[in-house]
Amino acid sequence: MSEPSGTPTQQAAAPTTAVANPLLAAVLAWLVPGAGHLFLKRGRRALLFFVLVLVSLVIGCWLQGNLYSPVQGQPLTLLATLGCMGMGVPYFVLRYLLDYHGDVVAIGFEYGTAFILTAGLMNLLLVLDAWDIALGKKE
Amino acid sequence: MSHFLLMVVYALLVSLFFTALWRRERKEQVQLFLQLFLGMVVGGLAVAWLMYPFPSGPPAPIP
Repeated sequence: MSEPSGTPTQQAAAPTTAVANPLLAAVLAWLVPGAGHLFLKRGRRALLFFVLVLVSLVIGCWLQGNLYSPVQGQPLTLLATLGCMGMGVPYFVLRYLLDYHGDVVAIGFEYGTAFILTAGLMNLLLVLDAWDIALGKKE
Repeated sequence: MSHFLLMVVYALLVSLFFTALWRRERKEQVQLFLQLFLGMVVGGLAVAWLMYPFPSGPPAPIP
């Protein structure tokens, strides 16, 4: 008895076809949250992702959280910086145009740092998602 | 802003994000959203309750 078409088994075995340039989709996704999905014609999801990442970032800045930059002798700050840089253009706008650093004595510093880091990490996941969609591995 | 409200807002953002990222069907989205959101909020409260007897110690020095 044959399986009905479109089962997970068949989908996994079927060869994938790229629907768009995955590198361009990934770069766009990194630069602006949601832009990769917009490029791949997922407009509603792009808008939702854009709003979620931006809201997380705005709350983090409002709480005066830390926008990480590497600190000599503290290798974990390098990882945290890469995580924050995952948000793309907003990181560089905050750091170099708005000169944002956060305030270590602010009451919401730790919470704000979590929100800012989460915004960056969420966008990194969006980069991977856009890459997979562009390759045809994901809907 | 209270600690609890911040935790709820954080859980809401993260749950919405992963729901949109991982699920397409509406029913599955609702199911996953509730699992993630309630898991984080209830889990956070449970961990806070378990840690309650432990002393918090002196405040950390400001660098």
